[in-house]
Amino acid sequence: MRAPVRWLKDYVSFDEAPELLGERLTMAGIPVEGIDRPCEGLRNIVTGLITSVDPHPNAERLSVCLLDLGGRTVKIVTAATNVRAGQIVPAALDGAVLADGKTIAATDFRGVISEGMLCSAEEILGDTKIIAPEKREGIYVLPAGTPLGADIRPVMGLDDVTLEFELTANRADCFSMMGLAREIGVLSQSKAARPLLTFAEKGEGKAAEMASIEIREPDLCMRFCARILTNVRIGESPLWMQHRLQAAGMRPISNVVDVTNFVMLELGQPMHAYDYSLLAKHSIIVRRAVDGEKLTTLDGVKRELNSEMLVIADASQPVGLAGVMGGLATEVSGSTKTVLLEAAAFYGPNVRRTSRGLGLRSEASGRFERGVDAAAIPLALDRAAQLLVDMGACDIVPGIIDVYPKAILPAQFEFTPQWVNRYLGSDIPSDTMIDILKKLEFTVKIGPDSIQVTAPTWRQDVTGPVDIAEEVSRIYGYDNIASTKPTGQLHSGGMSQQQNLVDRSRDLMTGFGFFETLSFSFSHPSFFEHLRLPEDSQLRNAIPILNPITDEFPILRTTLMAGLLETVARNLSRKNEDLKIYEVGTTHHAMKLPLDSHPAEVIRLCGAMVGRRDGTEWCHSRENVDFFDAKGVVESLLSGLGVGEYQVVAASVPWLHPGKQADLMIDGQSVATVGELHPSVQEAFGINRPIYLFKINLTDLAPYCSTGAKAYSPLPKYPAINRDIALVLADSVQAADVLEAVRSAGGELLVESRLFDVYAGERVEKGTRSLAISLVYRAADRTLTDEEVDAPLAKLIQHLETTFAAKLRS
Amino acid sequence: MEMELRRIREAAFRELELAQEVGALNEIRVRVLGKKGDLTAVLRGMGAMDATERPRIGQLVNDLRQEFEAALNERMALLKDAALTKRLEAERIDVTLPGRILERGRRHPLTMALDRIKAVFLQMGFDIEEGPEVESDYYNFEALNLPPDHPARDMQDSFYITEQFLLRTHTSPVQVRTMQAKPPNSPIRMIAPGKVYRRDYDATHSPMFQQVEGLVVGPDIRFSDLKGTLELFCQGIFGDSVKVRFRPSYFPFTEPSAEVDISCVICKGSGCRVCKGTGWLEILGSGMVHPRVLEMSNYDPSQVSGFAFGMGVERIAMLAFGIDDMRLFYENDVRFLRRF
Repeated sequence: MRAPVRWLKDYVSFDEAPELLGERLTMAGIPVEGIDRPCEGLRNIVTGLITSVDPHPNAERLSVCLLDLGGRTVKIVTAATNVRAGQIVPAALDGAVLADGKTIAATDFRGVISEGMLCSAEEILGDTKIIAPEKREGIYVLPAGTPLGADIRPVMGLDDVTLEFELTANRADCFSMMGLAREIGVLSQSKAARPLLTFAEKGEGKAAEMASIEIREPDLCMRFCARILTNVRIGESPLWMQHRLQAAGMRPISNVVDVTNFVMLELGQPMHAYDYSLLAKHSIIVRRAVDGEKLTTLDGVKRELNSEMLVIADASQPVGLAGVMGGLATEVSGSTKTVLLEAAAFYGPNVRRTSRGLGLRSEASGRFERGVDAAAIPLALDRAAQLLVDMGACDIVPGIIDVYPKAILPAQFEFTPQWVNRYLGSDIPSDTMIDILKKLEFTVKIGPDSIQVTAPTWRQDVTGPVDIAEEVSRIYGYDNIASTKPTGQLHSGGMSQQQNLVDRSRDLMTGFGFFETLSFSFSHPSFFEHLRLPEDSQLRNAIPILNPITDEFPILRTTLMAGLLETVARNLSRKNEDLKIYEVGTTHHAMKLPLDSHPAEVIRLCGAMVGRRDGTEWCHSRENVDFFDAKGVVESLLSGLGVGEYQVVAASVPWLHPGKQADLMIDGQSVATVGELHPSVQEAFGINRPIYLFKINLTDLAPYCSTGAKAYSPLPKYPAINRDIALVLADSVQAADVLEAVRSAGGELLVESRLFDVYAGERVEKGTRSLAISLVYRAADRTLTDEEVDAPLAKLIQHLETTFAAKLRS
Repeated sequence: MEMELRRIREAAFRELELAQEVGALNEIRVRVLGKKGDLTAVLRGMGAMDATERPRIGQLVNDLRQEFEAALNERMALLKDAALTKRLEAERIDVTLPGRILERGRRHPLTMALDRIKAVFLQMGFDIEEGPEVESDYYNFEALNLPPDHPARDMQDSFYITEQFLLRTHTSPVQVRTMQAKPPNSPIRMIAPGKVYRRDYDATHSPMFQQVEGLVVGPDIRFSDLKGTLELFCQGIFGDSVKVRFRPSYFPFTEPSAEVDISCVICKGSGCRVCKGTGWLEILGSGMVHPRVLEMSNYDPSQVSGFAFGMGVERIAMLAFGIDDMRLFYENDVRFLRRF
């Protein structure tokens, strides 16, 4: 909302500089986002009467104009073709500055000295959207009677300062000069006054006899008022009004339309003018559209309507979309002689749905969405009538046709100043509160125990005591209310077990040297192909977004892997070649599509490793990461989270290398997967080297993580006996099975076993490998003898020999 | 015999002085003091000596033995010391070569910012709550006093899944969920961090971003408590010298409502590009919980009152770290991530 300061001053007096006023309004909840001084930079552009236009002696396309600047004559050369003697035009003289900052100097044009330049609208305004299209081209011609030699800025109404408001949705009343003036009045200790209305109705008959109005949907149209204007003489509105509209950002069109816009900006009440003669049976019916009904709106677009939409119709067809835009067929034109002027109140949510449904928003629809002051509608019509009479544009038929099925009453309720002070934690005297409310034009009745207030009709947002707390505090000043600490029971804040788990995971990953990444929850189905997911994969069951931000993001992710791989690819392309990264985040899984209940949100941790294992300094090993680095990270993470037992088995995830992937299983369920990326997937993501990945389902893992402090078990008192064995086994025998067998068949005294070497090569038979295992035997109550260890060891070896066809390596 | 001793002494001391290595000293020790050494030979030869002479000669041998042993030990210590010094000198390395750095991982800068926010509120006794990202229209809007077709819905352009479900546009639904999960009118102090989604994408808007919601409800919670709490929070994040300003505003779920500004952390309030010359930066929205919101969650506004607030984690991280493009957070360039 743009409000020119001079316009505001029509209703309220204030002396504050615009900046100070803006600051005070902002701090009272009426946010001023900017202060515009349009055309502030213009210099030395004056009005001049063209007294003669002659061809340039040496240039075919140029003309030489003589201009009377009111006592002084200048010669200006122009290339414009629309200049005629007798026009008054803007002339930028030597030293002038145009809207775009360009300076003008006297110049020799092929032997004729031009003492300046004639200006177009664009050269003065910079932006011509507030100028009628036909006046945008060529030299801007000013109305006859414009004083000569005058600074162009006041002549074109460009010397005002405009406040730019970013109003909040609740303050419908502030979408008007009058509403803003009221707020300024409260802050500047002066009272805003409505324009005085004095005009004479004229003509025979009564408005009510000339047209009929019927509201069929009283819930959607609460009030509909109309006046009839006769002897209409369509023409331009007076300059002062054009300048006002332009300063507020609107383009003047014609006297009748300008008045409807002017009153809307002044009082906040949108209006519409119909050509009375084109309304079938001179009747207005406010009804729902019939499904499929068509209406061409003023912007020339033919629109298909539905029964959710409210229309203004005449006896035969819709003539306007209620509260949004009028129809083209009944538009006021140069030949219009009689006008039906509408001012109504429509139900905001319905206007909003219609205007959003059609993608058609207007100054009117914005105001109706927020709500207009139904009580003030006749006033708005009278104001329009007065302005039109004042400019001699028409006669006013006596009477207003007013259909108002159910009066909308302002809120009335009681409050106590004690309650307000308790709610705010303030100490504002009752008198101050009453004074503030009265200035805001609330009706205040002081009772013995409480104060009864009636809100002004334009404050439909006020409904109860909390609104009084708000009104009082914003005018009193938030800064003037103390700062305190909440009282109440002492409580130690905390995180849930799930939050702790995520937090600990991050700590551990940081400790392992990993960088946390964050990617969007949005994804694209093409990644399912990239990841080689089978058609029936659960992960393909992604939730689609109806209105995605771009074509790249039509679904919610079901895996973090795609985002992580994109991050890897992006980093590799930027020559960040050694990566240890991870992400913790949610994935979304529909139970059913389309969605009929909240989808499952699963917390996952995914990581990727690529490049060097340790750094790249002189002292680091030159080795790259491999499967066992990734697996080690997962195992260390699980250990850090207090996960006890799990089994490792070969896995079969489609996007991993079929021979290099493992599941970590608890209770028959995979809680983590680790592996090398499948070469085809690598290629699909544009990655040119092996990557090792892991994913952990933290939601599933949570029940297996230990949360409390661990119980301490004392250190052993007696020494242990160590024995190492090396077993030659077929390659097909899995290490995990051997180690499990060692643990389970090692006997009570075996307290620790560790695989310390794996050897395959010349010194063992082809197709076999040697696993070297270190065994630690210990008793809790005595020092063991060699003999005590020999027996269980022999038994263990025998067990391994029979189970795995293992051979003890000498 | 005394002459013999004198000769032994002179020879021994001469050799001692000439010896340059520990090994040589050991040889000398054996030769002079050993079982077959010179002095032992003298003692052995005492049998042939006059009995009255023996004690005196014995004494002389012992004196010499002690004197020589002391000298030898001293010499030995000296040589060992020299040898050690020489060895250590030979082991000297270039200590200025870079150490074997263990690369420190990092939390994402947004996680770091969120951690700081959480820490401030945990200290004040707040719980941390969570809620779903795919949210129903009821929790995201209606229960927050934003009925269908309310003009304030425009403030939050939503991603819809169905008519009924959308990606939450703010973390405020967690307010409602937290209240509804508790017995009516139970006191609450909580924050709810999480991802939220709006249809906006440029240098200062991301279609996904993170918010922290806050809610305090109790029998006697006042607007002044909102001010005091959020002032403490701002100081906790931006330092004690930061100035905090409360500006009236409008949110459908609070009344009165306030935008919270801090004095610009870049220019300290004198006006710069970041604060658009105003000296103030908007970082929080807040207000007293609207009675209708309390009612819809089975809290009785005549018994309890509360305040709520919400902030964007990206915005706070950008200000705290001096980052000017929000998109950097979601690009995950490790060079960027390593800067924190």
